[in-house]
Amino acid sequence: MVYEQPGSSDEFLNAAYAHFEISYPKFHKMDQLCKLGFLATEILLKGTGHSEKYGETETGLVLSNANSSLDVDLKYAKTIQTGASPALFVYTLPNIVIGEISIRWHFKGENAFFVFKQFDGNFIVKYVNGLFENKLIKNCICGWVDILKEDYRALLFLVETTDSENAMTFTAGNLNQLNQQEHG
Amino acid sequence: MNVPSFVAGMGIVSAIGSDLRTNLDSLCEKRAGIGTMHWLSSARHRALPVGEVKLSNAELAAITGLSARVPRTALLSCMAAKETLINAGWEKENTLRTGFISANTVGGMDKTENFFKLFSKNTAAGKLADVVHHECGSVTELVADFLGIQHFVSTVSTACSSSANSIFTGARMIRAGMLDYALVGGADALTKFTLNGFNTLMILDKELCKPFDENRQGLNLGEGAAYLLLSSEKGLKQLHKNPVACITGYANANDAFHQTASSPEGTGSFLAMKGAMDKAGLQAKDIDYINLHGTGTQNNDIAEGTAINILFDSGFPKMSSTKAYTGHTLGASGAVEAVFSVLTIQHGIIFPNLRLETPMKEFSFRPVTELLRNQRIQNVLSNSFGFGGNCSSLIFSAA
Repeated sequence: MVYEQPGSSDEFLNAAYAHFEISYPKFHKMDQLCKLGFLATEILLKGTGHSEKYGETETGLVLSNANSSLDVDLKYAKTIQTGASPALFVYTLPNIVIGEISIRWHFKGENAFFVFKQFDGNFIVKYVNGLFENKLIKNCICGWVDILKEDYRALLFLVETTDSENAMTFTAGNLNQLNQQEHG
Repeated sequence: MNVPSFVAGMGIVSAIGSDLRTNLDSLCEKRAGIGTMHWLSSARHRALPVGEVKLSNAELAAITGLSARVPRTALLSCMAAKETLINAGWEKENTLRTGFISANTVGGMDKTENFFKLFSKNTAAGKLADVVHHECGSVTELVADFLGIQHFVSTVSTACSSSANSIFTGARMIRAGMLDYALVGGADALTKFTLNGFNTLMILDKELCKPFDENRQGLNLGEGAAYLLLSSEKGLKQLHKNPVACITGYANANDAFHQTASSPEGTGSFLAMKGAMDKAGLQAKDIDYINLHGTGTQNNDIAEGTAINILFDSGFPKMSSTKAYTGHTLGASGAVEAVFSVLTIQHGIIFPNLRLETPMKEFSFRPVTELLRNQRIQNVLSNSFGFGGNCSSLIFSAA
């Protein structure tokens, strides 16, 4: 447990931003999906020296979720009659979260966003291993970033080719098991 | 293996004409095709000027032989693709490997809009036949089947640089020896979906657009389709054709700045143009003409202009945006302007940038505003910059 905050998803995301003392003004313009993915990546990479370790094109970013960008789609749809909001409109695609993370961390590597009914460790392992096998990346951030109204969840993994403390093997079984645990 | 790819034929349908000849005449006679909405029905946006193809779906179906029930994007695509193949002398019996790499951004959205109108009121209503070709790839498949192209079929959808990227994909496949011919380009029909989207972004001009003008207010949307048949040297022999041009440079870059805007410094545009020139082994002084992306939005024209200002500071080539003629045809625009770029080489003419009254104060260069004839044009740079910072540049050279 690194941080806990009761209240709405909106309150949680903003409080987490403050708690981790992040200074990135563009955060406040983001939709909830981007905020969630952005924060999860901050926590995942904090203290790892990631930027020093890898070149700009060496990091892959492979995310998935069940609700695509529906959370902001619904908010945007409400504005159409009264004057469609460009600020919301530009977030009405799920892969925008990949863009926001990439801009923050200067990633210019391979990336993809997939929409599944549920977390699929098999698919993620297969896809990410393909990127490694084709020598397109040297490390990968992958997993799940999903939000719809008050229901939100991010589960990210950093996959590297060298062993490190507390690391586990990148297998579908391990990913699925962790997904179950975190759910419980 | 590194073989050059030649342009063996072209075809186009746009707001300024239903074939190559009419497009060329309109360009030379300064005849723009943007005006009042006639074929699309949008109560919300009836007042916005648009660059429509002046043919109904029934007329397009009668000309092409496709069903009038398929998406308008497929009808437009088929029309321009057929002209390209005829123009190149390519026939179904040709045994060399032919690929069809077609771009679009709306797919069958026009039909989906019809479906949704009924479906949103009653979930048991609406014809499912109207949504089967919704996705972009389906439009390409429809046309590939109709033309009888089987060796390789693919769809590219990267916003406004889509068809520049399909051209560049085809050129690379020919260079790599994977295809002998590549029918490359793209199509997009005007839809409520795109009008609503661009309207939300507040980048549509309520009047006729004025690319690269100090007082530009935004873009006008258009529709159309355009293709080039790229061929290897071996393919040309089979066609008994002299090539009209060859593609010598291409590059794609992304400035990772914003979802729908280019960085004001024009980083992506700069990298795309520079990359294409490097690929072609050309210097700034070798470029005789730039067909600008020039949409008429504040953001595009300043970003593109800034990049040109840096890259060509030793001497500006002639340049113009042709979007004041056709409107911004989105997924088709890269191909529409590639065809225009090849026409400039072929005929030694440079098309004017219409409606440019007050040049942008930031730059010392001036786009061409009158038709120029008897130009010696060796190399043309064609720009297509899309949302997501997806910037592509192509270079066509005299063969």
